[in-house]
Amino acid sequence: MSDSKVAKDVMIGIFEYPHVPYWFTISQAIRIVKVSFISTKKYPDPLAILVFDEKYNLMGTLSLKDILRGLEPRFLKASDTAQGLKEDESTLSLIWDTLFDKSSKDLAEKPVSEIMVPAKYYVEPADPITKAAYLMVHHDLILLPVLENKKKFVGLVRMIEIFDSISDAILKE
Amino acid sequence: MELIDREDHQKLYFQLYEILKKKIESSEWQIGAQIPTEEDLCKMFNVSRVTVRTAVLELVRQGYLKRQQGKGTFIFRNIGSEGLTMLTSLQEILFEKGFQVTTKVLARSVMMPIGDLNIKLNIPKDKHIIYLKRLFLIGGEPGILQESYIPYHVCPLLLEEDLEHNLLLDLFEKKYGIKFTKVENHIEITFLSADEAQMIGLPEGSPVILLHQYFFSGQTAVMYTRSIKRTDRFKFLINLERKVA
Repeated sequence: MSDSKVAKDVMIGIFEYPHVPYWFTISQAIRIVKVSFISTKKYPDPLAILVFDEKYNLMGTLSLKDILRGLEPRFLKASDTAQGLKEDESTLSLIWDTLFDKSSKDLAEKPVSEIMVPAKYYVEPADPITKAAYLMVHHDLILLPVLENKKKFVGLVRMIEIFDSISDAILKE
Repeated sequence: MELIDREDHQKLYFQLYEILKKKIESSEWQIGAQIPTEEDLCKMFNVSRVTVRTAVLELVRQGYLKRQQGKGTFIFRNIGSEGLTMLTSLQEILFEKGFQVTTKVLARSVMMPIGDLNIKLNIPKDKHIIYLKRLFLIGGEPGILQESYIPYHVCPLLLEEDLEHNLLLDLFEKKYGIKFTKVENHIEITFLSADEAQMIGLPEGSPVILLHQYFFSGQTAVMYTRSIKRTDRFKFLINLERKVA
């Protein structure tokens, strides 16, 4: 199929996305979303923030959904151990509304490291894009880091480029 | 002749600006001489007129070049020769003579400006900055805790430098050719937070000196540092101002 295409052929630069260290709070991340995306009307796909450790290693990604999830009052989250009770989602959303001010503002002071999606999976620049596609599909990732020699973060692979390359191969006569 | 590197992710005008600045600072282009026309520069570096114009305008803005209507653009001043004196003064502010200083890098990362950092560095809020946090051991004891913020585009390679064995100011001036022309120092007394206290080895709430430094190269803000210095063991301070040719 798209035989010769490898991760580095389709990766995008890491500076397309805002960077934050893991100790930033959710409210700081929200401000960064506002100034980087909303005020400037720049909407890269997907909208995400990259989270780094103090040695500038990528720790994880933070999507808008992750941020909103991080602001949900704790008891609204599904519990694995709950027995028998089925959530009525519309009721829960109303409860969130009434609690929003006091509860979510407190939660916004948590560090982003608590709500990010950890960067467990990656590809090397020379890995085939099929490997990237597999990892993204099976682990439900919005972005996949490209690391050189398992360490140096050099780029990101997005679903749109992966889809494009694979669809070219499928549609080729 | 140094050429534009099209693989380099720095913008073309910024690369051209750096190349031309070097020619001026190294006196390859002498004060008073006329620089090549826009058209000649386009040909020399294989870049567009817009790129040349932007680079030249920045050099004019920084005082290196002066435009004379109908005549051309001329080298106006050449900064650089006093760099070492100024560097020494800068280092003496923090590290008085007679102590051995070792550096521990606690953090080196990239982040977005928060709070008023974008104002301090005169950059848009959505531009990346390099963040460095270092602890200086003076005579083997924690003496200074310093956080530095540098617009990423000013010196991207800083992220790969050995900052435990090289002085940041040396790297800027000697390796990357970024000359400081002005440093603003603001000093106050502050009290250590719990985190800072742990790193600097004093009880929380202890009074320390807080030094804010704004580093400029021409009109460009190249770095802001926030340094906390313990006052119980070390003396402080000096001066500084560079004369401009």
